Parts: sequence; C-alpha cells; structure tokens
Amino acid sequence: MTYSGTTDRIGEIIEVYTTRFLAQSSGLEDLPHFGSFVRADSQDTNIYGLVYNVHEVNTDPNRRPMALGLEREELLRQHPYLPEFLKIEFDAAVIGFSDGAGIRAYLPPFPPRIHSFVYPCESQEILDLTEDLDFIRSINALPGLPVEELVAASIRLAYAERGGDRAFLVRAGQTIAQLLKDEYEKARSIIRRISDVG
Amino acid sequence: MSGKAQEIGKLIAGSLLSGLEAKLAENVNVEGVSVGRLVVVDGVQNKFFCLLKDVSLEATNEDILLNPPSDDFAKLVHAGINTFYKVSIQPMLITAQNPTEEDRPRPSTTVPPHFSPVCEATEDDVALIFGKPGITNPEIGSPIFMEVPVCLNLERFCKRSNAIFGKSGSGKSVLARMVLGYLVKSDMAINLIFDMHGEYGWSATSEAGIDDPSLKQLLGGKIAIFTVDPKSPLYHRIRPDFDVQIPYSQIEIADLELAAGELGFTQAGIETMYRLSDKWGEDKWLAKFLTMDTDEFAGVVEDLKVNDQALGKLHRCLSRLKRLPFIRNSVADDTVTRIMDFIQDGKHIVFQFGRYNSMLAYILVANILTRRLHKLYVDKTDSARADGIEGPKPLVVTIEEAHKFLDPQVAKQTTFGIIAREMRKYNMVLLLIDQRPSGIDDEILSQVGTRIVGDLGDERDINAVLTGLPSQSTLKVLINNLEPRQFLLTGFALPMPVVIDAKDYGRFCHEVGIGVGAIGDEIERRKARDDLNEQVYGNDEIVFD
Ligand SMILES: Nc1ncnc2c1ncn2[C@@H]1O[C@H](COP(=O)(O)OP(=O)(O)O)[C@@H](O)[C@H]1O
Ligand SMILES: [Mg+2]
Repeated sequence: MTYSGTTDRIGEIIEVYTTRFLAQSSGLEDLPHFGSFVRADSQDTNIYGLVYNVHEVNTDPNRRPMALGLEREELLRQHPYLPEFLKIEFDAAVIGFSDGAGIRAYLPPFPPRIHSFVYPCESQEILDLTEDLDFIRSINALPGLPVEELVAASIRLAYAERGGDRAFLVRAGQTIAQLLKDEYEKARSIIRRISDVG
Repeated sequence: MSGKAQEIGKLIAGSLLSGLEAKLAENVNVEGVSVGRLVVVDGVQNKFFCLLKDVSLEATNEDILLNPPSDDFAKLVHAGINTFYKVSIQPMLITAQNPTEEDRPRPSTTVPPHFSPVCEATEDDVALIFGKPGITNPEIGSPIFMEVPVCLNLERFCKRSNAIFGKSGSGKSVLARMVLGYLVKSDMAINLIFDMHGEYGWSATSEAGIDDPSLKQLLGGKIAIFTVDPKSPLYHRIRPDFDVQIPYSQIEIADLELAAGELGFTQAGIETMYRLSDKWGEDKWLAKFLTMDTDEFAGVVEDLKVNDQALGKLHRCLSRLKRLPFIRNSVADDTVTRIMDFIQDGKHIVFQFGRYNSMLAYILVANILTRRLHKLYVDKTDSARADGIEGPKPLVVTIEEAHKFLDPQVAKQTTFGIIAREMRKYNMVLLLIDQRPSGIDDEILSQVGTRIVGDLGDERDINAVLTGLPSQSTLKVLINNLEPRQFLLTGFALPMPVVIDAKDYGRFCHEVGIGVGAIGDEIERRKARDDLNEQVYGNDEIVFD
C-alpha cells in the first residue's frame, strides 16, 4: 500500500542524495519536528525519511534579516509580507521505502525525485517502519548526523505512537545496546534519553 | 511424566578437559541457577550429561564495568548484550540421542558443537543415568532441585570399600542407616556394624522408636543385636541377641597401640608390653599384669630390666581396661564363633555399646573382633578357592570414627587398613563413616570405591575426600556448596558424580518397614488412616467456596 495526499503536505524536495534529501516549505505555522518520520511520494514509490535538521531562512533578496525586537503578533502586523519570504528547509535521512509490497526498512534503489512532495507519516507507517528497529542501524551508519539525539527522538516518537508500549521501548534499548556494544558510552547516552519517557 | 527440557543457555566455549561454557539465556533467572545441578547438552548425535560447576558474571566491554548502568531500564536493556552470565559445566557421560536398549551412558570422549542447547536434565535423563529404583538399586535421594530418584547400584557398591563423610549434623548417620537398611533388604552382603552411638541397631530416641526407628525396629529378625552392655536400659523392650565378652587373652598389643591415646601410654610403654608378652606369653601377660599389686613390681623390674616408674605408669594406664566389665579373664561364649553362626543364618549384626560408648571400648571391640574375623575369612576364602567352592558370605563392616583405625601412623598394620587395601579379595569390605577424613591415610582414601560426601567445613577434609578422584576442582566446588542432608555421590557405584538431597528418612521407613519389625504395624495403622482420609476427602486440597 502506498500513501498519498495533498492536504497536509509539509514540503517539496529540492535536493536529493541516495541517503538523504532536502525539502523546502513555506507558509508553515509549525516547524517539522526533529526526529519525525516523513514520506516523500515519488513516482510509484514512497520513500521514508527521518528529519534530522531543520533550517528557517528569510529569502527576501532586498533585505538582510535582522533582529527586530518584536513579539510575533506585532511583527506580523508591522511586516505583513514577511511570511512570504520565510522559507523552511529540512533534511531527512532516508530510512526505508515502500513499493506496494509493504514497507522495507532499508535504502531504496534510488532516491526520491526532486520536486516530489513530502508528507508526515501516517500512524500505521510509523509502526511499520519501526517494527524491526533496523532504521536505528541505518541512521547509525550515516556520517555527520547527530545520531544520539536523532535515534532517541525517533524512538520516543514511535513509542508514543504505540500508546506507550514499554516492551517496544525495551526492545529498542536492546537493539541500541547490541548495535553499539563497542561504543558503550554512546549507547548509554541514547538509552538514558529514551528511558526518560516512561 | 517428564516435562519438556527447559533450555537454560547455549554452548559457547570450553574443552573436554577443563569443562564447557555456556551463555545463560536471557529469560533464565541467574539466581535460580545453582552449582551441582545436572544439565544435558543436546549435541547433534549425542546427549552430554554434565554437572553445573560455576556461574560467572561477564561483560563484553570494560566500559560498562567502569560506568555501570544506573537505572533498572538500562540494566534490563544491557542484559544479555553488554552483560551476560556464563555457566561452566563439566561433561561426564554421553549417550546417543535416541539410545537403544543396550546403549548405556558412557564416559564422554568429545564435546558437543558450538551453540548446542544446554538444558536442565529431565526425569528421563536421570532415570537413564541412574536406573530405575529396585531392590538392588534403591533410591537414596534425588538430584538437587529435582524430584527424581537417584539410585545406588548395590552390586557395585559391595565390591569395594566405601565411605560416608560429613561433619556432625550433615545427616551422615541417617543416610548411613538408609544405605545399610537397603543393603540388609537386598541381601547383597552381610553387614557387621560397629554402632558407637547407638544409631543403627535398636534406637532409644522414643519409646517404641516410632518417630525415629532404627534398623532393628524396621527389619526385625534380619538384624541381630550384639551388645557389650546387656543391662543398658535401652533393652527393656527387646532382648539383645548376644552379650559380647572379650577375654584378656584375645587382646593383642597392636589393639592396645591403637588405643594408646585413650589409654595414655607412650612408645616406652609399648616396648615394655612386648617385654612382658615375651616373658609371660602373648595370651597371658595382660591378665597377669593387671592382677599384680604394685609391691610385686620390684621383681618384674629386676627380671625384665625395665624402668620401674615406666612399669608403674603402664600399669595405671592399662588398669583402665578394668573399668570395662565386658573385658574378662574368662568368657561364657566366643563372640567370633557366634558372629559366624549368625552370618551363616544370613543375619546382620549390629554391635552396640550402651553405656560403654567410650572411644576406648569402641576401638578395642571393633579392632579385636574384626581382626579375628578377617583371619577367619582369609582362611576360609583361601581354602574355598583351593577346593573350588564358594567362599564365605561377602561382608560389609561398618565403622564410625574411621580415622581412629586408619590414620597414617597405623593404617599400614591395622586390620582395617589391610581390609581397605586388599579390596574384597577375601570377601570383606568396609563402610567408613567419619567426620574427619583428613585423619585417614591417603592410600586408604584412594582405595575407597564409592564416596558419599556431605557438608565438610574444613578445607583439609575436603581435600582428603577428593584424594585420587578425577575432576577434583569441580567436585570441590560442589562439596563447598553442600547443605545439611545434601550429599555428593561419586565413585564406583555411580555412573557419574551427582549432588543429591538425601531421601527423607520417613519415606525410607515406610518403604522398608512395612510388614516387618516392631514398627511395621504402627506404620500400617497410620497409613491405613491416611488412606482412609484420602478416600473420604480426596487427595486434593479441600476448597470451600
Ligand atoms: N534424610 C533425612 N531425613 C530426615 N531427617 C534427617 C535426614 N538426615 C538428617 N536428618 C535430621 O538431621 C539430624 C542430624 O542427622 P545425623 O545423620 O545424625 O547427622 P550426623 O550423623 O552427620 O551428625 C537427624 O537427627 C535428623 O533429625
Ligand atoms: Mg552421626
């Protein structure tokens, strides 16, 4: 099953790599959450990512953004065109895909195409993606990511999605301990971050 | 009847010589895993029967030890990954996975492959190793943590001298009584029991011995009571079968030497005794010396060229014999002749000491009688062999405080030392009962066929009972962990070492006692009452709702 929808889309891809993509959105009230699960609909394949970096810029070519010292409401009143120039960009690490035959928690043969739209994952997708916890392995293998924070954030999300299933949390902790058995300090810091929830 | 084997881990390392190691499965509570358990490793073609000998805490990474997980969640997720438990097991026996009738477990000559499952032994496994209970293979307990019989092969047991060791309170007298009871029942050998503390013949603990019946109460006519103290209040309900009296003429200097500590003489005293014996005759000197008055000593001193003070001292020492009324100048009947009569009738003899249960009386009686009996047995066996006929009935002689008879100083010459070393050549073996095995000569210890070892506090005693055994380090751990009424059984009569909870004595009494002896009726009566209760109320707990 592939998911699609237009209503709640949160961005459009503007750069792709095998292991990650960069999406841009505008006019959003809320920023996508760090560690949240997203889906890029690209041709017949859904490609899943984990948001690991969120970045907001002012794209007004005429004006350099500067501190204005105004509360948000007052700011919008005095500068009504500001939202048009504000762009949100976020990076997502590719953690899996689905091609109609179910969700696979490993890298797809190709990345999503540029200009594909990005949506937040449905609850069921999050459950499926996090079922065997292999995504932790994928994330750990990517260079340059804030792995400890990212793993912890995504596991907390998946845990909440499961209505606080403690057995899941234990399994996740064990997967981390196993994966990082030679990096005890790293495992310990992630485990401390996920044990917070319950 | 047997449950499915519960897997406790997987094999990860080891060798046949030093033992195998398994990683404990995560779902097994380490605190429930204890040393001495029987475990089975399921190889591809074979099953390996092993003893659990150690449990250890392991970590895959030093860091976790330096910086241990602090909360329960962290402990839980690291368990089995960064931290795990290792159990060490010693392979003992091996059998085919699907044994045929003829397949008997045999000593293990190889090891199972990596990651073979390690399981708790099942009832079937234990039955395969130790056999099913029977009259010549009686149940004497169960492996610790299991409710399955461990049986003692009496046929093999009677072929060697054996020992029961354990400190006071370890339960060795009760176990010995059970082993002896089964031996009597099976008629595999005639028993001669030197019962120093009155625990094996007729017990005095309660009026009819109902609560703690001894062998006479249980086995009645098969047991003959020989006593040196027929007037003991112990015997107001039964008549002992024979009053033991020992004439001075039968006491040899070697017998007295064995009791040197109790009598209080030294080497000089022994030399003096030999002089007296040379002069007055082996069988006459003692009686003559003891009837002498001190004023007659001068003549002896003159005659034998002995020191007069030494002679006086020896006289005082030996005079202690006069306090033992069963030692006399002349006796009504010869004990050894009677013993042979009873043995001929297939009766088992318990020697009791009543109020004369001093070490002195015990040593003298046991040593003198056994020495004479042994001589007789040697003669009879030799002549039977010459004539090609069956020798005298095999005899098991039970002695307590065995170290008194077998300490390294004397074991070379004493009758008991000789019997222990000649290993059934003359149809006579020993059952040693002792709380201080370190006092027994090493050579004798290594000849002991089957060792039944209870709790022993002292390191030297533990080392002593291990003398000459394979896998000593494993067995040592097992002995160190014994509780009262638990025993390590190892040796000739057992296919592999095993730690047991001794059978409950009450159960033993039910089993052997019914229908014979004074106790039989009472047990029947109580059993009938229990059966009636069971019929009326059923076996289950009664629930009111
Ligand atoms: N197998 C057993 N069944 C029932 N009671 C036992 C058993 N073994 C020992 N006991 C109890 O423990 C006490 C001490 O045992 P005992 O055999 O006299 O120890 P030991 O001879 O080693 O000093 C006994 O009096 C008895 O009450
Ligand atoms: Mg005792």
